[in-house]
Amino acid sequence: MANVSETLGRLWAPRARAPEGPGPGAAGPAGGAIGRSVGASVGRFLHKTSQVGLVLYALALGAVLGLASADWATRGGYPFGGVAIGAWTAWPRTGSLGADPYARAVNARRGEIPLAVGEGMLVTAATDDAGETLDATCTYRLAGITPPARAWTLTIAGRGARDPARPPMREGFTSTEILRERDGRFVIMVGPEVEPGNWLPSPRASGPVRLALRLYDTPVAASTGSLDRDSLPAITRLGCRR
Amino acid sequence: MRLRFLFATLCGLVLAGLVHIVTVLAIPALSESDALTRSGTSESLDHPQRIYTLSTGDNPAPAEAWLPIPDPSVAVGVCAYNLDDGPMRVSARTGPQMLSLAVHGRRGAFYAVTDQAAVRGALDLVILTRAQYDEALANDDENEPSRDVRIIAPERQGYVVVRVIAALPSQRPAANDAVQAVSCTIDSPNEDAAKPNG
Repeated sequence: MANVSETLGRLWAPRARAPEGPGPGAAGPAGGAIGRSVGASVGRFLHKTSQVGLVLYALALGAVLGLASADWATRGGYPFGGVAIGAWTAWPRTGSLGADPYARAVNARRGEIPLAVGEGMLVTAATDDAGETLDATCTYRLAGITPPARAWTLTIAGRGARDPARPPMREGFTSTEILRERDGRFVIMVGPEVEPGNWLPSPRASGPVRLALRLYDTPVAASTGSLDRDSLPAITRLGCRR
Repeated sequence: MRLRFLFATLCGLVLAGLVHIVTVLAIPALSESDALTRSGTSESLDHPQRIYTLSTGDNPAPAEAWLPIPDPSVAVGVCAYNLDDGPMRVSARTGPQMLSLAVHGRRGAFYAVTDQAAVRGALDLVILTRAQYDEALANDDENEPSRDVRIIAPERQGYVVVRVIAALPSQRPAANDAVQAVSCTIDSPNEDAAKPNG
């Protein structure tokens, strides 16, 4: 790699000087045939190096843009392949043989082991129902039901590493732990302040957070088209702490 | 000159597209942090390598976790296999907790089963290549049909993921133990069957 950049640097050098090149040759006050012949040879030299320079420019542009865009597309979450259901996004195919190359690259870079279709499904939410980004300083009300599944877990996480100063608190609920209404529906309060009932504390002091609903042993993984807004909890923002 | 510069830019952009596609396709094969590579260290073990141990009262921090955003109530273990050594047998006993097994190859998961498919409390998966499958089929005793679930793997290398869900925090130690209780062994080829026609 170092060799290549060295070579590139050496080859680039004449091109970088190209604009000021003709200056001394053309404006030489001594003039005469010597000056003109020097100018012509400099021009020929520039013409040749500019061709090489352009080729190198194209190669460098391709390499830099291609690598940077590939890095950007496979960093963090899956770029596409999700099924949007209201504020939630279901990811049914990220772990299967039919996963798109981007999802595979994301999994490979992060060391992620996604849920297989027969095993479960991941559903994430980064915004509330109004489309606002979920924020750690705000209080949210998650109310409703989940799609049929043998078990599910709802977890909250902020981006990046966990803050070591914050004591480890509840990170999520499982379907067994949750307190339900009489009709089987549930309400989970997400926010920085202590709430009665199912309270999921914000994982960090500020910044965006994400909700992850993992459905285990669920029939909907094979047919995400059957899911609609009402089959997933509604996310309503109640207010934000100043 | 300007036209040539534009042409070079255009070529660069086309090249960038090609580089982008090739890079994205090559990442899974070249990555050293992917699950397949990391699970490779467990190949000699008879039990799943713990990759996410649930935090319990005594030991809160799972040190060996490399899953980026693990589910805090699901214990995860991994058994790597290499079918060149022989078919891989994964045996699990079902318990009160939900258990699922997923078989991953390089390209993704190709089979998954939960403890609901267990026969008499036992779940036996055998992962084999097409040739090993044919051999196993030929060696089957007609009077004693095998209860194994046989899965033909598209590739020789892969890993089996064991997930056990702890529905309540008090079940977490049991979930950790349930992952360890799964056995992953290499089915040694039957000596008698190896001889041509007995």
